[in-house]
Amino acid sequence: MKKKSEMQDQPIKYKVSTASRVFDTCNIIFMILFCITILIPFWDMIVRSFSRAQDISYMHINLFPKVWTFSAYEYCFQDGEIVSALLMSVARTVVGTVIHIMVCCMAAYTLTRNEMPFIKVITVILLIPMFVNAGMIPTYLNIKDLGLIDNFLVYVLPSAFSIFDCIIIRNYFFSIDKGMEEAASIDGASYYRIFGSILLPLSKPVIATVSLWQMVGQWNAWFDNMVYTRGNKNLMTLQYMLRRMLDSMSQKSGATYQLEAMGQTVDMNPDTVKAATTILVVLPIVIIYPFVQKYFVKGIMVGAVKG
Amino acid sequence: MKQKASQKNDRLKQMKRYVPFYLFALPAIICVILFNYLPMKGIIIAFKDYKMARGIAGSEWVGLKHFKAVFTDPNFYRVLGNTLKISILTLLTTFPVTIVFTILMNELRGKRFKKCVQTITYMPHFLSWVVVGTFVYQILSPTGGMMNTILVKLGVLDSPYFFMADQKAFVPIYLVTNLWKTTGYSIVIYLATISGIDTSLYDAASIDGANRFQRILHITLPAMLPTMCTMLILQVGNLISVGFDPIYNLYNDATYQTADVISTYVYRKGMIESRYDLSTAIGLFQNVVSLALVLSANWFARKTNPEYKII
Repeated sequence: MKKKSEMQDQPIKYKVSTASRVFDTCNIIFMILFCITILIPFWDMIVRSFSRAQDISYMHINLFPKVWTFSAYEYCFQDGEIVSALLMSVARTVVGTVIHIMVCCMAAYTLTRNEMPFIKVITVILLIPMFVNAGMIPTYLNIKDLGLIDNFLVYVLPSAFSIFDCIIIRNYFFSIDKGMEEAASIDGASYYRIFGSILLPLSKPVIATVSLWQMVGQWNAWFDNMVYTRGNKNLMTLQYMLRRMLDSMSQKSGATYQLEAMGQTVDMNPDTVKAATTILVVLPIVIIYPFVQKYFVKGIMVGAVKG
Repeated sequence: MKQKASQKNDRLKQMKRYVPFYLFALPAIICVILFNYLPMKGIIIAFKDYKMARGIAGSEWVGLKHFKAVFTDPNFYRVLGNTLKISILTLLTTFPVTIVFTILMNELRGKRFKKCVQTITYMPHFLSWVVVGTFVYQILSPTGGMMNTILVKLGVLDSPYFFMADQKAFVPIYLVTNLWKTTGYSIVIYLATISGIDTSLYDAASIDGANRFQRILHITLPAMLPTMCTMLILQVGNLISVGFDPIYNLYNDATYQTADVISTYVYRKGMIESRYDLSTAIGLFQNVVSLALVLSANWFARKTNPEYKII
């Protein structure tokens, strides 16, 4: 009896697993195709940036550069504008992130004091901008009134505070053992000291997460550059530089663009330089991304749980 | 009387104790006031004939003149139509694609492989739209772009075609690009929900004879439902605001007809043509409708799912 049922079980199980296995295989192939779709534009740019100008001419797809060359990158690094834009991007990323973290952490510490007088008022003041914004033009006029046009500060000050980041940091502060703070307080440590030497060092994970968000945001920002600091060439960032290259590409009709590209195959091809610039813009993110990905996923979870 | 005074005293004393905390919050409050509240006074120019030389306060009050101008302008209706069309189509494409992809990814057996796929597909989320725009222009370029090369070689096209300058092609290009950039990120959000499913549910179902498809249908999908609802509601709240970045980096003057949305229209009217008052009026209209949509979406979300909270 027992044997019979086992024998009956076997074929059924086998049948299910074939269908399942076919599905699995198809699924894997599908996912590989998905990944390839994501990667193609990157690869195309990489190949272009390392190709000689004459090799990427018309109607050829190269899976690899025919001849590897760094000439486009050399051109980029010899071009004063691109180097200065690269440095400006780094500067705004570093300064912007430091200011952002300082402002948000300090405010988050205050928001942990539920019993403080006027804490509700402060919270509401900080919360309202999440729902209401003035719009593009009033914001521009305001920046102008504040005298921040063509000023480096316009990169780092408007983004200094974000209520979303602040709440995430505050929630982390809440999870830190209260006893530690009380003990320090009894020992005579001031609040400033508790904040600087206990709370912040213990909050490294959340600070890392929020820093990464802000760093990506700062590195990728270009709109403020286009609108507020268009007049000052020294303040140009890499993203905006790429945006301007895109302008020159999109504003030509197909025909003229074609002629121009064909005429320039001998000297420096704008295509390869543009590709190299794109890679320079993407590279920092792609390099650090796999290492920090888990932080971003964690951050999403926090956001998902909270929001 | 005396009691009130002592209460006030108490409060002052208490506030004194918290002085460091007021100081801690100060930079944030200053930031918010300078960059979020102060600009709001500029909204008033939507009701004025704004002259740069006279300033906001000195300009002449004209009431609803700009709004009348906006609502009788056929361009505005074209832009509004484009906005709604693009956001609805975005919703209709991203939603099913994300759900199907999430389920497929969840069914992957190899842990390493799954992680690898996630890492790769999540990456475009971190690129700026400028970079994505550059990618798209490059791939679709009529001078040696990959798409044109393939289509010409296959004989689909006789000669290279400048897709980015075609009005009819814009919306499909936008939708595909948007999927390319956002699908990986959305998958991660949904997978987070799925990972919370009790695995014993799956075991119980397979003992009961449910096959893989049935398990997906009856366990995975229902578990995704709350997140799906939240995302849907949030997106409905954003119906009238298509982001500036994606459109601006994909459109050009040849495709304004189909690509122009409210935010890009406001930008061009205001920043390029310097019609500050008029574009503020358009922006105000968008913000009010958008706020109303978001608030009612939130209200609806809370009604349907008591656990849902925006903060």
